[in-house]
Amino acid sequence: MRKLLVAGVGVAVIVGALALTSFRPSTAQQQAKKPDADSVVAPRLTVADSGQLKGPKQPIFFRHDIHSGQYKIQCQYCHYSVADAAEPGIPTLQTCMGCHLAIGGSDSTHRVEIKKVRDAWRQKRPVEWVRIHTLAKHAHFPHMRHLKAMGPNACATCHGDVARMPQVFKVNNVNNMGFCISCHVERKVNRDCTACHY
Amino acid sequence: MTATTHDPSRPAMTHAEVTRDIVNTLRTPSRGYYMALFAAIGMFLIGAATFVALLKEGLGLAGYNPPVFWSVYITTFVFWVGIGHAGTLISAILFLFRSPWRTAVYRSTEAMTVFAVMTAGLFPIIHIGRQWIFYWLLPYPNQRWLWPNFKSPLIWDVFAISTYLTVSTTFLVVGLVPDIAAVRDKMTGWRKKLYGALSIGWTGADSQWRHYSRGYLYLAALATPLVLSVHSVVSWDFAMSVIPGWHGTIFAPYFVAGAIYSGIGMVLTLVIPLRRVLKIEHMITEYHFDNLAKLTLLTGTILFYAYGMEYFVAWYSGNTFEQETFWRRAFGPQWWSGWTMIICNAFVSQLLWFRKIRRNLTSLFVISIFINIGMWFERYVIITSSLSNDFLPFAWGQMNPTWADWGILVGSFGWFGMYFLLFARTFPVVAIQEIKEMIPMPRRKGGAH
Amino acid sequence: MSAPNESLDRRRFLKVVGITGAGTAALSGCSTDQVEKLIPYLVQSQDQVPSLPTIYASTCTECAAGCGLHVKTREARAIKLEGNPDHPVNAGTLCSRGQAALQGLYNPDRVAGPRGRNAAGKLTEILWNEAIDQLAAAVKAAGNRVAVISGAGAGTFDDLLSQWVAAVGGKLVRYQAFGHEPVRLASRKVFGADELPIHDFSQAKYILSFGADFLETWLAPVENQRGFANAHGFDGSGMAKFVYVGPRMSLTGINADQWVAPNPGSEASLALGLANAVLNTRTDVPADAAVLKPMLAEYGLDRVAADTGLAPVQIRQLFDEFASVGPSLVMAGGVGLQHRGAADLCAAVNILNYVAGNVGRSVKFGGGVTTGDGYGALLDLERSMAAGEIDVLIVHEANPLYSVPKQGGFRSAFEKVKLTVSTSLFFDDTAAASDLLMPNLHSLERWDDARPRAGVRGLLQPVMEPVFKGAATGDVLLQVAKKVGGALAGFSAPTYEAHLKSVWADLGRARGATDLEAFWRGALAKGGIFEPAPAAPPVRLAATAGEVSGAKPALDGDGEFIFSPYPSSMYHDGRGANRPWLLENPDPVTKITWQSWVELHPETARELDVREGEFVRLTSPAGSVEAAVYVYPGIRRDVVAMPLGLGHLENGRFAKGRGVNALDAIGAADGQGFLPYLSTRVKLEKTGHYRKVAKTEGNPRELGRGITEAMPLAAAVKGLTVKQAYEAAGHPSHEINTELEVEAIEGFRESQLEKRKLGAYALTEPQWGMAIDLGRCTGCSACVTACYAENNIPYVGEEEVLRGRELSWMRIERYFEGGDDGRPISARVIPMLCQHCDNAPCEPVCPVYAAYHTPDGLNGQVYNRCVGTRYCANNCPYKVRYFNWYAYAKKAFPEPLNLQLNPDVTVRARGIMEKCTFCVQRIRGAQHQARLEDRGLRDGDVITACAQACPSGAITFGDMTNPDHRVVKAAKNHRGYHVLEEVNVRPAVTYLAKVVPGSEA
Repeated sequence: MRKLLVAGVGVAVIVGALALTSFRPSTAQQQAKKPDADSVVAPRLTVADSGQLKGPKQPIFFRHDIHSGQYKIQCQYCHYSVADAAEPGIPTLQTCMGCHLAIGGSDSTHRVEIKKVRDAWRQKRPVEWVRIHTLAKHAHFPHMRHLKAMGPNACATCHGDVARMPQVFKVNNVNNMGFCISCHVERKVNRDCTACHY
Repeated sequence: MTATTHDPSRPAMTHAEVTRDIVNTLRTPSRGYYMALFAAIGMFLIGAATFVALLKEGLGLAGYNPPVFWSVYITTFVFWVGIGHAGTLISAILFLFRSPWRTAVYRSTEAMTVFAVMTAGLFPIIHIGRQWIFYWLLPYPNQRWLWPNFKSPLIWDVFAISTYLTVSTTFLVVGLVPDIAAVRDKMTGWRKKLYGALSIGWTGADSQWRHYSRGYLYLAALATPLVLSVHSVVSWDFAMSVIPGWHGTIFAPYFVAGAIYSGIGMVLTLVIPLRRVLKIEHMITEYHFDNLAKLTLLTGTILFYAYGMEYFVAWYSGNTFEQETFWRRAFGPQWWSGWTMIICNAFVSQLLWFRKIRRNLTSLFVISIFINIGMWFERYVIITSSLSNDFLPFAWGQMNPTWADWGILVGSFGWFGMYFLLFARTFPVVAIQEIKEMIPMPRRKGGAH
Repeated sequence: MSAPNESLDRRRFLKVVGITGAGTAALSGCSTDQVEKLIPYLVQSQDQVPSLPTIYASTCTECAAGCGLHVKTREARAIKLEGNPDHPVNAGTLCSRGQAALQGLYNPDRVAGPRGRNAAGKLTEILWNEAIDQLAAAVKAAGNRVAVISGAGAGTFDDLLSQWVAAVGGKLVRYQAFGHEPVRLASRKVFGADELPIHDFSQAKYILSFGADFLETWLAPVENQRGFANAHGFDGSGMAKFVYVGPRMSLTGINADQWVAPNPGSEASLALGLANAVLNTRTDVPADAAVLKPMLAEYGLDRVAADTGLAPVQIRQLFDEFASVGPSLVMAGGVGLQHRGAADLCAAVNILNYVAGNVGRSVKFGGGVTTGDGYGALLDLERSMAAGEIDVLIVHEANPLYSVPKQGGFRSAFEKVKLTVSTSLFFDDTAAASDLLMPNLHSLERWDDARPRAGVRGLLQPVMEPVFKGAATGDVLLQVAKKVGGALAGFSAPTYEAHLKSVWADLGRARGATDLEAFWRGALAKGGIFEPAPAAPPVRLAATAGEVSGAKPALDGDGEFIFSPYPSSMYHDGRGANRPWLLENPDPVTKITWQSWVELHPETARELDVREGEFVRLTSPAGSVEAAVYVYPGIRRDVVAMPLGLGHLENGRFAKGRGVNALDAIGAADGQGFLPYLSTRVKLEKTGHYRKVAKTEGNPRELGRGITEAMPLAAAVKGLTVKQAYEAAGHPSHEINTELEVEAIEGFRESQLEKRKLGAYALTEPQWGMAIDLGRCTGCSACVTACYAENNIPYVGEEEVLRGRELSWMRIERYFEGGDDGRPISARVIPMLCQHCDNAPCEPVCPVYAAYHTPDGLNGQVYNRCVGTRYCANNCPYKVRYFNWYAYAKKAFPEPLNLQLNPDVTVRARGIMEKCTFCVQRIRGAQHQARLEDRGLRDGDVITACAQACPSGAITFGDMTNPDHRVVKAAKNHRGYHVLEEVNVRPAVTYLAKVVPGSEA
């Protein structure tokens, strides 16, 4: 049935297409824009360290500081729907394997983690990440509107400089209404309750 | 004033007797007292249990039946706020007017006021849908950058009630100080310690008396406007709305009169048995009840007028909605409640034109019960019958109370009674010092002995 | 065939994504700091982006009409059904039953997988291959002693099924409970055309219905309603008059401008009388109609008056009107008026249409619409079952053990069959009695197509993973064929999907499509292929046309009342009884929910001394039923009526034992090819037992409050306003403000606008508004269901409805007019929802700003801020605010019903107020999209759920500050008025007064 479902596209093909195509060009131009100053080389850490690091321990010691910081992969490459939808989109294992089919890891500590990804892919078992930024269910946060307004580097405003985090942790309590409001007041943008609450 | 003609406001007894009799009220109580106390506590527990059920299940347990979104709880809330008003009236206004008869009863009425308002204060919390966040009604700085809506009569309510509670409590406590001191000197053991602390070093020195009486006077002056303001604000909970039967300009005075009426009704209900239980009949006499009854008659008559005026306005306005509402109040499905209110308040109070009835405690007690019932029903009628049939006939509906409504109602009486009884045992229910002031100075006549 | 793959059940973990990602069923106000898991897709889905809707085109199977669907899915779960705008039948709108298909899909009481009888005779879980083997073996053994009862409409599956049955030499009975056989029989008799006509309201100037409830269940209700609204709604110049003939005012009846109630059974006589009148007065009568002259001549005024018991003057008026006004449209054959003479009545109506020149214009043949072989065929099968000639019986998309009156022998015959197989999705009365349950997939889970009429081929496609372990019956047939071999060896298709695709490939070739894949995908995206019906030769009178009799049909029993079981617009033939939305959505006429009732005329009630809610027992020769009385002025004095569809013995938690089955009081005997519903007289007696009727109505009368305004056609044509119309008619218009008051109000308004000039409220945002045309609204309540579906409104159940606690944000108020004051009884309906007042009384009284005015003119309700003082609800003049007295949402969505919840709308917790938001989530969504595309909002970007669903297009929504939004024009219409204008709350909803023919409102 799943195959049939994918075949049964209907009207949605357009929507889907939009979602898939729209970020590619933006990625390109951002790479152009990004100044070289903040180029970093991520520190060498083993999974053992992840316990000491800030933030919850994840099933796989995924290094944002390597992917986003050192290799400057755009957030939207993995968080694919962030520019088009309210939800940012959690990368599918397929996305990971897109690179890690070939890239096995430069040193032992990396190889261990990448193996986990490959195993998961082989066993068709999705990775269960621990959620860090959670919003009350009665608050609707449209990611795309914030990207539209603040540009592709908007992410850091709420999520902090993830590019320098070996392990992601909560910088701002995004679930505090005050956090949203203060920003909206500063920028003189919509403060109507029903902008988020409905 | 001369002693030749005996002034009924002045008890014929000596200072020593007064202190003795009052202090006696604080000694080991009768079995009757304990039965009353346990009854009150039992009733309170019923209410508490009901509240827990409401918290657990939701307000659905009560007999709400849209469009009747307010019913027994708000009714009882207004009822208790109203009760409060007699206290401040008697202790503050009559004090300023120097009317002598208040002295014997003002202490108990003040206590009643405080406890009544304490009771009323619970209802805004009980009746809301999410009781656990009732504090959102208070203005306090928060990370959400949110404030309450100061345009809402409900917020005015919050302020009115809290102010009233504060002021009337202060009034009661300050009034108590000299008496507690007097009692302290007659007591021994832990009680002496307790009263010692409460009497905050009162010695009865002239300087203390001078400041005290000034202070008391100003407090009375402060409290006086509240008698009018608080219940006006409560009345605006309704008068500010667009609902036919609520949207009335006479509501404020109408409610204040009703409040005092119900308050004095409750005073009678409480004091008549109390004076017997505490054996102070010779201090609170027919004379005092006569005056209370006159006040009742006055306010009752104002209510009579207000009821008539409501119907007149409804008819005269030519507004179909108003007319329908008031027609249904008298002849609609809830006619019985409408008539209960009119008979108990407008008609029964008129009996007090007769001196006999005013001075017969039995009849007064019966009447006071009628008043309590009538005033509860007045609020019930105003609230539920107006809501049950407003603008769109399709949306009409009648409410029918459930055990949850009665549970909370009973509980509120228990909660109130509990405090009042404990107070009567622990503190002088009659103001020793002021009674003493009333006693004529013993004077010497040449060779009288 | 697909049993869901256990190793990776995509639906199940998408549900998790749904809950963590999109926040489906979270109760507002609850803590969110618990540890949550984020579980991504394994493989990038091509057509699903989290938090963006994906829409699939499909076809509705809830009745024979075959409307087109747009299925809105989120995170691969269907969350809303809407009409397919491209579909010729429903043109983008959908009825309540259609929308409630979603609650069939997610129904917690669906048969979760194949079941078989164990040694003890209990139904127990078995595996699909076991089920297939069992059926195959039985079919092999049975030879030609196989029978199938199928309710499936025309389409590829039906073709496959008939080939399959033919191959084994078995019997196939296409049976639909509401088959409208009389209509078909009449077409055969009068025109020799073996089909049901298609009705075109567009040109009709005079609409006449003989008990045809075309707004509820008759043929294609959505299409009918659209046509009816177009013809009967006031278009600025005129409107059609609609006369309803029948013993009881149904939903269709209350929309009539005139209700005529002749003696039940005498309608044919009236129809023939009308035909005679036309024949005598009109000159443009078809020539060949002359042969009917002698037959029609009998039906003069006197004969008709004698038969119908109507006043001659009224009959004369009908004769004259009908003969003079044209073109017209006459309909008959509703289930509610299906007496033994129904076929004759329909034939008489055919003749009437023919002589009036409607055939070919408003009544079109050649559509090839059929609704199965009918009740007669079913009874034939019953006989052979009883005779033990059937060994295997497969029941598909039918529930005969419920829909055939118990008095007949169907159940005993059914039990005589060696192996009875049910493919029902639900554990209905038939399934419960069957030996083998092979649950079909829901129409939203499987491949199929539908051919409701010539030129229309709708496609069904799976929009999501199956919720339960069903299997498409098409696949089952093919699997069995493989196992049996022999006569069935011919069925070689690997799966039903493959078979369907091959059929469509042929369709593509026939249409000269070069790229068949593109043709297929195009059809899928569009929802099927929609072509004009092939031109059919005009029908002519058949030889048998003259053999129509207007004689009164016989009635069983000798009770003093005639019993009329009528189809409920919610429950249909009973299939709606397990859908809480339909149970809670009040009956459009009586406003009763969750219950069965008996309708009595007020005078009848007085004679019997029964009040509403008292139980009465109806006893007929066939049996007896008991139900609570509802006193209804819109029914003949000698008739008692009861809705069909409730009183199931099984069929899940919602339907089981709810209400009573009106069929228990009528016989099962054949009425020449159909079940005569109106065929018995009943005795009435009080039972002494009382139960409050769970209706949402407080008071049935308006009390002159001018809530639903209406104006005479004459005034409307002149372009008068409501007030002017009143004055023109010499009536004082209700409650007008005096000059002074108006002045004061205007001044107040000015000062308000002055104050508004500052800040966010300076009218820089759009100001949302709505216009509702009461001339088009029929009260069908499709908008109510749409609102429930879109806004996650929980149903509260019978007990809470009794306390008036239903949460119906959109409600249809129904007010009766006349009846007691000499004027004929009539009814008016008005949709009542939050009016989003500019000067809203609910806003200032909220102590915490939970109710407040948004810059874009909405009356905002912030659930998570609400503390539940309920002052807003008290102060709302329209009483459109609803309170969560309990945690309704926790109870209302038992797994898997919760999968239907709309992730864009917060599910309300206990203790808070809720109300219509003008679908703010849709507004915000549209604004997001517009912003992403760097453009402003266009008209039509935002359509509220109610406006979208409304089959009569009565509701327009848009920005009142933008002159090119249609709503602005609509609101400016001279018929426009505000309910309770005198309260001066400045509503954003404008109602357009209803228009009634003639010069008197």
